[in-house]
Amino acid sequence: MSVVQVNPADESKYAASARAFRDNVTRDLANDELRSNFRGAMDYLMDKRKSAFNDQDELETLRRQCQLIKQRCLVKLPHLLEQLEAKLTANGIVVHWAETITEANQIIAHLIEAKNGKTVVKGKSMVSEETALNDHLEARGIECLESDMGEYIVQLAKEHPSHIIMPAIHQNKKQVADLFVKNIEGFEHTTDVDALIQQGRNVLRSKFCQADVGVSGVNFAVAETGTLCLVENEGNGRMCTTVPDLHIAITGIEKVVEHLADVPPLLSLLTRSATGQAISTYFNMISHPRQPGEKDGPSEVHLVLLDNGRSQMYADEELRQTLQCIRCGACMNHCPVYTRIGGHAYGTVYPGPIGQIVSPHMLGIEATTNLPTASSLCGACGEVCPVKIPIPKLLLRLREESVKPASQQPQVMKGQGSGRKPLEAFIWSMWATIHKSPFLYRASMWFATRGRWLMPSKIGAWTVARSAPKLASTTLHQRIKQREQAQQSVQGRGK
Amino acid sequence: MSNARSNILAKLKAQVKDSDYDKLPTEQGFEYPQLNRQQQLAQFITHLDNNHAQVIRLARHEIAAVIAQELQQRNITSLMYGDNSEYTHDIEQTDNSIELSKYDFDFSDNKQRLFDHTPAGITGSRCAIAQTGTIVLWPTKDEPRTLSLVPPLHFVIVDAKTLYRSFDELMVKQQWADKLPTNVVLVSGPSKTADIQQTLAYGAHGPKELIVLLLNT
Repeated sequence: MSVVQVNPADESKYAASARAFRDNVTRDLANDELRSNFRGAMDYLMDKRKSAFNDQDELETLRRQCQLIKQRCLVKLPHLLEQLEAKLTANGIVVHWAETITEANQIIAHLIEAKNGKTVVKGKSMVSEETALNDHLEARGIECLESDMGEYIVQLAKEHPSHIIMPAIHQNKKQVADLFVKNIEGFEHTTDVDALIQQGRNVLRSKFCQADVGVSGVNFAVAETGTLCLVENEGNGRMCTTVPDLHIAITGIEKVVEHLADVPPLLSLLTRSATGQAISTYFNMISHPRQPGEKDGPSEVHLVLLDNGRSQMYADEELRQTLQCIRCGACMNHCPVYTRIGGHAYGTVYPGPIGQIVSPHMLGIEATTNLPTASSLCGACGEVCPVKIPIPKLLLRLREESVKPASQQPQVMKGQGSGRKPLEAFIWSMWATIHKSPFLYRASMWFATRGRWLMPSKIGAWTVARSAPKLASTTLHQRIKQREQAQQSVQGRGK
Repeated sequence: MSNARSNILAKLKAQVKDSDYDKLPTEQGFEYPQLNRQQQLAQFITHLDNNHAQVIRLARHEIAAVIAQELQQRNITSLMYGDNSEYTHDIEQTDNSIELSKYDFDFSDNKQRLFDHTPAGITGSRCAIAQTGTIVLWPTKDEPRTLSLVPPLHFVIVDAKTLYRSFDELMVKQQWADKLPTNVVLVSGPSKTADIQQTLAYGAHGPKELIVLLLNT
């Protein structure tokens, strides 16, 4: 058993909730309203995606192209990060590097405090969820308001996103209305979605106007030109990156692409896979802070590049494919497990299939041993993935990493062997020994068929909804032998 | 903290060699069917219609009259426009019913004015994309970024001559890789969200309405 040493200050708050996976699942499966919210949303998103890809040839050509684009950018990653940094610096955008979530939060907090910033508006950024930036800033007395409508709802409810592109998908309009009544003074109860959005708009517009700082994520960082690209529909991303005088973008190191020409195919697959849109309402490309003579835009722009487990994914060629992800969410939309248990049950920032292969690197295997096993391996996630990440294969690989002896070299992942159980390991080693020796195999089969009445009728979770398996009275070897003998005697009589 | 950069890069560099570059397979894009001019224009308009934008086809000399009419229909009496931009003169031909104001000030001193007292803004555009129904805004010091973002109604003038087939074709032909401005925004409709129970609502944060004035030449 390996004991993972984690500095409590550095451990993500999501490690504890990921450890509670089984309890979370029991809790959320019992919630009918939650289940119907997810079912409705997933059906909607699957239909949307389907309607956006009428031509299978086009889809497969684009998937292959985008897979290769991302793989090329990953092979060149260290070089591209240096090029990106050089280009951004030349453009006047300041680049910062962070290995851990704590480092990233501290960098951002220092930038804000240096400008005496008190209020922050944040565009949708899953990486800032990963670092739990809001908590960190609030503890330092800085107000950090989510401005994406879904994120705003989730923040009011003191929750975290249950889906990476539709954060409040677990709530229905009645729940949102109740939430607004409780939290917004003077709000009159209505379940009219236009009125609810109008309410959010009014609150947030005044915040945009006053905010000192805007924080955003990045969808693609273009090394060739030093450009930060943002995909969005609401306009809050544009607000956060245009209105406040200081803009801080945060992203994972895997978001860099080599050429500007890499962007259009990736963008097309991203929006179509995510919401079935040919393109998002806005596609924002930022290459400089405000230039002399310009009348608006932030005078300072910063980019924080975060590692947080990504270099670990990078170090293994198979696991490196995890970094191809463009965060469209299609894998969770098509996942039978996600649809039933919902996004919060995973306990991690990134839920669903992509979360199951990303989180073990970010939180360590010890906190996430249950995640790679929470899959029926039906393969839907791998089939819809726009960059062809073999998610089911990676889930199997992570199961393997989780039960490897902790001391086995090379150590690919933090927390290797955390899921290893002595009894299970013993059973499998016996199984392997027996199967390697014909004599042991035949002998054990002889005993097993004779002792089949010893097989218990209740075997834990397996028999809760299934009948217990039963060993046959004779082995396959014996049966074939019997058949051959019977045939020979028939032939003998015929002669 | 200062070691983060060298640590990250060292970890990554230990895993790859420059010779790996030679092993990369050839990437191939999809060949889309060629559309003629009329088909591209139809594709452009259909996408915008579907995305809830209002497209008005007009001649350049009609700009002022159409703006006035659209504003009157919405009981809006003022419009903000860019200083010295391509269509400044055309916009200034509107009658007295519309109070025109120029964006000739620094945004940071006038945030409230833009957020609370500017119901409509008008900008030009650099070009457009047929395949997705997209308008490319290329803000300048004359037509700042917030002019197309903050006012609830955004008029955008698009010259049909500047229509490109696709985003990639446009970037190559205009050589974007050589030089990009502070900010480029691709706009494909009014601001929207489906964040509450997958119900589409317009006017989340940006303009609630997008009126595309499409110049046919």
